[in-house]
Amino acid sequence: MPPALQAIGITKRFPGVLANDHVDFTLQQGEIHALLGENGAGKSTLMNILYGLYQPDEGQVWVKGELVKISNPHEAIARGIGMVHQHFMLVPPLTVTENIMLGQESLVSATRMLGRLAMLDRRSAAARIRELSRQYGLAVDPDAIVGDLPVGAQQRVEIIKALYRDADILILDEPTAVLTPQEADELFVIMRGMVKQGKSIVFITHKLREVFAVADTISVMRGGAMVGSLKPAQATRELLAEMMVGRKVILAIDKAPARPGLAVLQVEGVRVLDDRRHVAVDGVSLEIRSGEILGLAGVQGNGQTELTEALTGLRRVAGGKILLNGHDTTHATPRQLVEAGMGHVPEDRHKHGLVLSFPVRDNIVLCTYYRLPNAHGIELDYAVIARQASELVRIFDIRTPGIETTAGALSGGNQQKVIMARELSRLSERHGAQNGAPLLIASQPTRGLDVGSIEFIHRRIVEARDAGAAVLLISAELDEIMSLSDRIAVMYKGHILATVDARTATREQLGLLMAGVTPAAARPGQREGAHD
Amino acid sequence: MVKRTSALSDALQLAWVRLRRSLTTILLTAFGLVAAWALLNLVIGGQCDGKCVVDALAQTLRVATPIAFAAFCGVLCERAGVVDIGIEGKMLMAAMAAYSVNLFGFQLLQDALGPVAAGNVSRWLALVMAVASALLLAGLHAVFSIRFKSDQIISGTVINILAIGITGYMYRAFLAENLPAGPGTFPLVPIPLLAEIPVLGPILFHQKPLTYLMLALAVGIYWMLFYTQWGLRVRAVGEHPRAADTLGIDVLRTRYINTLLGGVVAGLGGAWFTLEAVDVFSPLMTNGLGFIGLAAMIFGKWNPFGALLGALLFGLGNSVTATVSIFRPDIPSQIPQMLPYLLTIIVLTGVVGRAVAPAADGQPYEKS
Amino acid sequence: MTDSASPKGAVAGRGWFPLLQRVVDLLSMPALALLTAFVLGAVVILITSGRLETVGEAYWGLLRGAFIKQRGFSESLVAAIPYVLLSLGLALGFKTGLFNIGVEGQFYMGALAAAWAGQAIQGVPALVHLPVVLLAGAAGGAIWAGIPGYLKAKTGAHEVISTMMMNYIAFRLTEFIISGPLRAPSGSTIQTPRISPAAELWALWDIPNRLTAPLNALTLSLALGFGAWLIARAAGAGGQHAPDGASAHTGIGVPVSPFAGLIARITHHASRHLALVVGLGVALVSFVALPPLTRLWWPFTDEYDRLHLGLLLAILAAVGVWWLLWKTTIGFELRTVGANPNAARYAGVSITRNIVLGMALSGALAGLAGTVEVIGVSICRCLPLFFSSGYGFDSIAIALLGRNNPFGILASAFLFGAMRNGADLMELNSGVSKYIISLIQALVLLFVAAPAVVRWMYRIKAAPRAAEAPLTRGWGG
Repeated sequence: MPPALQAIGITKRFPGVLANDHVDFTLQQGEIHALLGENGAGKSTLMNILYGLYQPDEGQVWVKGELVKISNPHEAIARGIGMVHQHFMLVPPLTVTENIMLGQESLVSATRMLGRLAMLDRRSAAARIRELSRQYGLAVDPDAIVGDLPVGAQQRVEIIKALYRDADILILDEPTAVLTPQEADELFVIMRGMVKQGKSIVFITHKLREVFAVADTISVMRGGAMVGSLKPAQATRELLAEMMVGRKVILAIDKAPARPGLAVLQVEGVRVLDDRRHVAVDGVSLEIRSGEILGLAGVQGNGQTELTEALTGLRRVAGGKILLNGHDTTHATPRQLVEAGMGHVPEDRHKHGLVLSFPVRDNIVLCTYYRLPNAHGIELDYAVIARQASELVRIFDIRTPGIETTAGALSGGNQQKVIMARELSRLSERHGAQNGAPLLIASQPTRGLDVGSIEFIHRRIVEARDAGAAVLLISAELDEIMSLSDRIAVMYKGHILATVDARTATREQLGLLMAGVTPAAARPGQREGAHD
Repeated sequence: MVKRTSALSDALQLAWVRLRRSLTTILLTAFGLVAAWALLNLVIGGQCDGKCVVDALAQTLRVATPIAFAAFCGVLCERAGVVDIGIEGKMLMAAMAAYSVNLFGFQLLQDALGPVAAGNVSRWLALVMAVASALLLAGLHAVFSIRFKSDQIISGTVINILAIGITGYMYRAFLAENLPAGPGTFPLVPIPLLAEIPVLGPILFHQKPLTYLMLALAVGIYWMLFYTQWGLRVRAVGEHPRAADTLGIDVLRTRYINTLLGGVVAGLGGAWFTLEAVDVFSPLMTNGLGFIGLAAMIFGKWNPFGALLGALLFGLGNSVTATVSIFRPDIPSQIPQMLPYLLTIIVLTGVVGRAVAPAADGQPYEKS
Repeated sequence: MTDSASPKGAVAGRGWFPLLQRVVDLLSMPALALLTAFVLGAVVILITSGRLETVGEAYWGLLRGAFIKQRGFSESLVAAIPYVLLSLGLALGFKTGLFNIGVEGQFYMGALAAAWAGQAIQGVPALVHLPVVLLAGAAGGAIWAGIPGYLKAKTGAHEVISTMMMNYIAFRLTEFIISGPLRAPSGSTIQTPRISPAAELWALWDIPNRLTAPLNALTLSLALGFGAWLIARAAGAGGQHAPDGASAHTGIGVPVSPFAGLIARITHHASRHLALVVGLGVALVSFVALPPLTRLWWPFTDEYDRLHLGLLLAILAAVGVWWLLWKTTIGFELRTVGANPNAARYAGVSITRNIVLGMALSGALAGLAGTVEVIGVSICRCLPLFFSSGYGFDSIAIALLGRNNPFGILASAFLFGAMRNGADLMELNSGVSKYIISLIQALVLLFVAAPAVVRWMYRIKAAPRAAEAPLTRGWGG
């Protein structure tokens, strides 16, 4: 039997980057092939080439023993290749049926002669979707509006979308990033079922644990090149990690036990509405002390974003109370919070964290441009600003041609360092004793970064803690939460289900909490089991 | 066969659901009409009787026609993700093209065909040329915003200014003086039987061709957008072009087609000025109706029926003020003339916060 | 660290050659846009006239009218003055992420406010009246632009539609006020009453006569002093000499000894006052020296030359806008809101306030342009009915041609002023309608708005460029 999919010597260059460097990759029929690599290793580029979204500069693609040229997704679909993208390719205002049949619409046969103006036959499409949904155990409601569905359901829609097109080769790009550990396990069961029914699956991930759970073969990419392929039996976590990063990796972060001091942030029964005026955060209470890191875990979309925005003054608080070092900051503006000693590493660095068209220099003073020594009256003092920026660029090892370079020209890791530099440098300021200890709110601080940058940023966060800051860490990566936090709060549907001690917490326990399952013991204490 | 009927019944059911959802809007509209009539009579001292109301409503539909065409142009473009503020310019260009073709075509054909036939031929020829000229500008906008990915609002402004420049130049060069008599505008085309219905007849079925065409387009575009393969793809392209692209839908082609279709519709709107409204062309005669059409589109939440409703609202404002100036010549004419623009701003501020544009509206699509 | 900064968007190195290269880079696009527009204009002339000679006659006439004929050059400057102010307004809006397409309406409202303020008060000296009129005109434009700004900030109503509507309202409103409440009682023409002589912006030839009154001399010398202060400030006399110990404030660097910091602080303060010293000095010197000197020798003697002090105002406005946008916290906030409103909110910058402020400042500049036309240019020294300007749309092209840079705008405004001024002689010379100019200007806008088109036409490779701030944003606001 020829391989389902084979890539030979694929090379792809982007301006300034060699994204794929003579990559070979073989997917056998009926296997789950895990493709492992850190962010920027070239996994997505390779898959986008196989799916016809990019054209390779060199190399061959074979599908089921046939040399092919896939110049667009249409051809990939015709050859039985389906792809579930990391960022879902779903149109939120359309229904599940409309999303699935888009591009391959079922039409009312009598109106076919109208060409493109033929009428849609939603009912027959929905029937087909129900059938697929039964066959593979992927529960979806064909009439639901996709934008209203939780991410897990949206992922099922994506998978059905590929199956609807009779795909027998499925590429799943980081499918578990949005799932709880238990949901991920369910997905693995579904993947196993699909393989039994004759499908072949490429499973892209950067999580080592998942590879062992589901893969038949493991391939590792690094820096645009294929490092090697092996069977799970031959692999160990340490080996795979080293293949991914190219050097020995310390998987756990070395940190001293926390020495919590006075309470810095106190959140009492806070309610927050989302953009559509639904309650997104419903009576959340938290306390973070000086010198500790509280990790906020939860599946994306359970109110963490809204809570963070409320805490940082970006979103109105609909009820409850927030105290920062004993002062009421419930309705404080971002500016007041900056003055009160809060640092905020925002979730989306392009949306909130940086002005990409501004030079690094201006981004460094984005929150403090208005006050001494950066400005006298209304006049900016660019000499001072430039000196400060140069110094931070040096201290935080930001790789940039100069402080006049626009932030948009930097790599993701360096952009994040600019933000960290700005926020942490402010925390270490001391202005007025009554301000108490500073607070750092870091939301998805390492999203999309390479291992080197991740290590750097983790170290800085722990240093800030050790220097006495209170840290709230919000992350979708359970590993990050578990390795950095001193205590972990789990958020589900706007509530904090439990707060547990990080040293004793297990992945299974947290996973259940993230899915909304509360063991009776954890229920009463929203603030229990915390500090020693 | 069974399958088709079920699909049709689905469609009908969907239409009914949508209608029910817009029931509030319809009730509010009715209320607004009554209120407008009461207010009107208050200002002019109860002089507006039944005939005057019917006239005013027929006038409403007439004035709403170019606004609705502009709004439909906006709907077509923006549903596919292209912001088009150059509607005003396209209409101006089309108005001039229609006028000059109508006039000079008539001069050429008069001897060969006789005045009546020449008038008919030249009017329809003028309509075609109006559409063609608007299409030209739409093509320019499409190339700029889709191929060259320039800022779409700037590109639309360029279209507007270019149209002012071209029409101004052509007007001074050819149309300003010593013109022979032209064939005039389209005549009224009362629809047999329907035009006889009391009240509704004179309002809806005693109009000129473009007005009928506009009403037909409202239904047509609505059906196309929400019930056909084409519509589904257009909406997907306007909301999430990358998703559409991954399913093999040609995003750029869809956008080109829709921008050009929008140009056709805007051309019809422009032709209204010189083929239905008046028999002269004057520079800047579109008077911001293209922009008002955009406001109507936003008011109608990018839905052709909603846009039509918005256009009718502006038409109503216009015909009410016209009625006022007839009965109250003592009020300086500039005051009622300001009202449609004021109304536009009020509508914009009241509605825009709640209306959500297609998610990819105005963003050039970069094929990764 | 596996990642390193990509070379894209790197700043040009130091030295003369890169600088020259940058200048060429900056100028090449506008120059090619102009060239293409004129070539296309020639094609249109050729098609409509059918004679090749007509093209030459037209462009030669344009050139002569703009620069060579008597008073040609100064008339070009006169036409450029409102262009400068309007385009500065547009550029300031663009930098704040606002497309103030309604500058024409604000121009009208500024003119109306100035015409009212100019005749409402009588018998006060220019020292008081002139600033009052200028302020009134600026306020008229600012309010007219501030309303759509406020509506955008509060409800999201897009400024392109609302300012356009405000244009139409402004046209009707001025028409109504000129022909009704503010109509000059005498005379058959419909216009506002003549403004007080003290509210007039002096023509340059008139300056020696005006300066004979000491209060007038004081007015001019204060204006010059203010200008000198502003230029000194913007040029960096002040704010540049930071204390060396500044890094101590960052809380990270090694604190420098307090003594060194103190010295730096003192020199710093001295230099901040330098601008003030320069300004006062210029004011004093010109107050003492200008009246006698201008009586002795003055280059402007032609009584029909309309060039007026608005030239000084326009240049100062350009310097002022530049200083405001790039050297002050106000400009930093405006630009942040313009480049990334989300980041602005995150940084504690009020979006509402800055949108209203950006629109109001933009409108104020447009209002000033209207004011200048009434108090400096109009023959009747009033606001006549049919005060058609058509400046508004041209200003969009000028702002973009000048790349939204105040000094670029000075140059491109002069170019457009010259074209506007030369058009009459062109028509006379060649019989080509002067409206071909608006066509050419629209084409200029077409090409500067889409540099990609020009690059494609001339097969120029795009310089790798880092993220640029968007000029406008979609309906979302």
